[in-house]
Amino acid sequence: MFDFSIVTTWFDSLLRETLGLGDFLSILIECVLVGVFILAAYAMLAIVLIFMERKVCAYFQCRLGPMRVGPWGVFQVFADVLKMLQKEIFFVDKADKLLYLVAPFLVLIASVGTFSFMPWNKGAGILDFNVGIFLLTAISSIGVVGVFLAGWGSNNKYSVVSAMRGAVQMISYEMSLCLCLITAVVLTGTMQISGIVEAQSGPFGWLVFQGHIPAIIAFIVFLVAGNAEANRGPFDLPEAESELTAGYHTEYSGMGFGFFYLAEYLNMFVIAGVATTVFLGGWMPIHIGVAGVDSFMDCIPGIVWFLGKAFLLVWVLLWIRWSFPRLRIDQILKLEWKYLMPLSLINLVLMTVIVALGWYIK
Amino acid sequence: MENNNSYFGGAVKGVKSLLTGLGVTMKEYFIPKVTEQYPENRKTTLHVSERHRGRLVMPHDAEGNHKCIACTLCEKACPNGTIKITAEMRETEDGKKKKFLTDYQYDLGDCMFCQLCVNVCPQDAIKFTNDFENSTFERGSLVLHLDKELQYESSLPNIIDGGAPIEIGKWNTKK
Amino acid sequence: MKLENIQFELNVFAAEMAKLKNEKHFDFLVTIVGEDFGEEGLGCIYILENTKTHERMSVKAVNADRNEPYIPTVMHLWKSAEILEREVYDFFGIKFLGHKDMRRIYLRSDFEGYPFRKDYDMSADNNRYVLTDDPEPDYTFEYNLDKDGRLVATKRPLFGDEDYVINIGPQHPATHGVLRLQTVLDGETIKKIYPHCGYIHRGIEKMCESYTYPQTLALTDRMDYLSAMMNRHALCSVIEEAMGVEITDRIKYIRTIMDELQRLDSHLLFYGCCAQDLGALTAFIYGMRDREQVLNVMEETTGGRLIQNYYRIGGCQADIDPNFVQNVKKLCAYMKPMFKEYRDIFTGNVILQNRFKNVGRLSMEDAISYGCTGGTGRAAGWHNDVRKNHPYDMYGKVDFDEITYQNGDCFDRYMVRMDEMEQSIRIIEQLIDNIPAGDFYIKQKPIIRVPEGQWYTSCEGSRGEIGVYLDSKGDKSPYRLKFRPMGLPLVSALDDLLRGEKIADLIAVGATLDYVIPDIDR
Repeated sequence: MFDFSIVTTWFDSLLRETLGLGDFLSILIECVLVGVFILAAYAMLAIVLIFMERKVCAYFQCRLGPMRVGPWGVFQVFADVLKMLQKEIFFVDKADKLLYLVAPFLVLIASVGTFSFMPWNKGAGILDFNVGIFLLTAISSIGVVGVFLAGWGSNNKYSVVSAMRGAVQMISYEMSLCLCLITAVVLTGTMQISGIVEAQSGPFGWLVFQGHIPAIIAFIVFLVAGNAEANRGPFDLPEAESELTAGYHTEYSGMGFGFFYLAEYLNMFVIAGVATTVFLGGWMPIHIGVAGVDSFMDCIPGIVWFLGKAFLLVWVLLWIRWSFPRLRIDQILKLEWKYLMPLSLINLVLMTVIVALGWYIK
Repeated sequence: MENNNSYFGGAVKGVKSLLTGLGVTMKEYFIPKVTEQYPENRKTTLHVSERHRGRLVMPHDAEGNHKCIACTLCEKACPNGTIKITAEMRETEDGKKKKFLTDYQYDLGDCMFCQLCVNVCPQDAIKFTNDFENSTFERGSLVLHLDKELQYESSLPNIIDGGAPIEIGKWNTKK
Repeated sequence: MKLENIQFELNVFAAEMAKLKNEKHFDFLVTIVGEDFGEEGLGCIYILENTKTHERMSVKAVNADRNEPYIPTVMHLWKSAEILEREVYDFFGIKFLGHKDMRRIYLRSDFEGYPFRKDYDMSADNNRYVLTDDPEPDYTFEYNLDKDGRLVATKRPLFGDEDYVINIGPQHPATHGVLRLQTVLDGETIKKIYPHCGYIHRGIEKMCESYTYPQTLALTDRMDYLSAMMNRHALCSVIEEAMGVEITDRIKYIRTIMDELQRLDSHLLFYGCCAQDLGALTAFIYGMRDREQVLNVMEETTGGRLIQNYYRIGGCQADIDPNFVQNVKKLCAYMKPMFKEYRDIFTGNVILQNRFKNVGRLSMEDAISYGCTGGTGRAAGWHNDVRKNHPYDMYGKVDFDEITYQNGDCFDRYMVRMDEMEQSIRIIEQLIDNIPAGDFYIKQKPIIRVPEGQWYTSCEGSRGEIGVYLDSKGDKSPYRLKFRPMGLPLVSALDDLLRGEKIADLIAVGATLDYVIPDIDR
């Protein structure tokens, strides 16, 4: 299995020893490079995801999707981005200009922040703390603030209603989201992202296999709650285009809207990525305990495993999004507080019992 | 929630109905798509009903004669004032005075395709065709002079009698 | 039916109307037709139905005073009168004594004059575009007679100081057009709705007064474009009845089949829009996909997809397409499996059931009182199908069920339409093989004149009873032509249906009421 830390160590020693740069400079250069990498990957993935959404949604709906811009419509998203960049940025009269301007950045910060936790490959995790999972959920909750401020700052009644909905929904669903992650942490015994992935090596080491019933329940609840957290249908109430036109981003144009749009897709990817990391082994290939097969699996690079699993989950999320009607606000809260929350709590207890008695697959 | 039965039973039933829905979309994901690709298909699989009302025409025969006698019934029948007929009195060879059409102005932009003009015409001098590609960049070019269109030709001549055949329950999806 | 009006004096009018309702059980106010009777004055014709025997009658009330005309209100007897009387006030300036909310409904609040009066100045100078905003007062008037018999107005505010008012529409994805619902909210809960109509008011009835009879037909397809066939059917029927034209069996068969195809088309769109309003875009596309096939079948014969333009006085525009029979059969075969697909993806879905069941309930009494005909009334258990109650064309001879449900909630309204689609297929299948030979059109005189008199005929449209009232003075144009809009009662019932529900329910109720705005505004 290729270990990406070889590259990073080599580059670090190149800066420090060969070029003789001091601590400050070398760390600065590394940070800038990593930052550029994150943003580039972020933008690229956004483009891929938007195109994927359009095509997959079209195929579920018996349509072809974009076909005109480029062969099979592949340049459609670029055309959209170009259009969005050209659009006039305007302010609504009596809008709170500061909040109105800050809100899209807050949403974007939350989304980029959580995005940085993705373990791309062995040794290629960018943010890797001993309280990784905690920090991840903490950063992701900044997004709520962005949504709320956008709705409040727009001076639009639809947006205010949408902001209230967004806040109440996202805060509620964070509960089961975190409970599911804690369930996984109980099994792996660490909160560090790389540690969680390492814990899933070995034959049938992925958490959904290792932790069997409670892990599978946690995985499914995580996907549902994550879908709600990312404001994706059937939980897209804050947007609810047939009720609130476009909800909190009704009054945004150009890149202001673009940031919300980007963040929405990347949040979906982050949810899929975290689910992959925690429950499906991250970059870890599947091992079945037969040496030949296992070594063949190891030949496939970790990043392919990670992206493959993440995109599969994204596809499942799209499938769900394009099959179901939207819930109502009280129903969405009922689902969380009456079904998902109790379920994840019981599940956490179950997992603790299983771990304590050693009934998981070792 | 009245009792535990309905709590758990409802959840199970709900999940089952959601899975059924997912099954339907999954099935549709793999079956052929229904998008018709106009304008790529305009010369191949495009079908436009023969009776579709695209615009009014005044058929001319091979010598360039039309049947209009300038009776202005169509002009009077039109609810929108789309048609304006100009005629003059001319003397025919046998010395009788007769009305002759000098201009038949038809404003496609005002027309609401109600077919009253065609219904009222005693000579069957005008009819609707299914030539539907009439968009232009200015309203002025929608004002047509039907009697001057000696050799009127549709932008898609093969569409006049319907174009490619259709079958109900199938889609003309090929390009 | 030819109207034999009973006329009541204004001082006993309210009491006599109450007697009709309470003693003779005329509990369904079909419509109120405002009319300028010329010398006689301004007045109204009330068309009533007894919902037990389906007997219909008409009552006339006239006020000779053209400057300050008034008629006592009947809104406490029939809830539908509330909005219908506002319409009459808007067009004729007749003030209804005791009506709680006497505002204009279609025209701007600063409109001068009453356009449907025959002495209204129709010159272009008097009817310029207004480029200023509608001032839109936030108060309303109630008119009453004081002890000297003079009209006095009482001013009432529409909103409280604390009210959070949000406009749903006129540009809003869920109102299906330009309807504006001024909604008073308390958080997400709706406290009150004031509907504002008229954003697409074209004055079709007024235009018809200057058109010849064949020309009036051109406008019907543009009212409820999803019941284009039925609108025209009703207008053709009323003119044919008045002129005494007997149509052939072939025409009757064709009209019945076409009406049912149109119903199928409309209900498929209803299904699609329901899905879209609830956020299930995929189900919406499936509905629209299959509607395409229905439209293909219709287009081959009529030449139109939305504006069908097919019926005319004395028959049809053209004979059916040579492939029509075969196409319709293929369509029926194609549609049947699709109904199961709709059930699987949308009807059975637990989210839909939760959003529709017990939401926006309309009791049967209210449905009758509001005059909510069609699927909305039938969902509440009211047997109001014109096809059954007053059979026309082939409907008396074919075998089909009138779908009714009991709860009157969103889910029942939805199910009525879903089941009706299957009934439409059933009717079509019974007729399609037996279309008799004969004329598809009975030639009429070049200039059509209708004998003097008043007629009212109705057909079952896609979303209720579409009725046409025709008053002829023997000219080549109608003296007064009034369409009974199917959607207006539905809009007037919105406030009652939604008080205390959530904003999201407004969308669900709006979707299932299935109103079409050009039909309301005309």
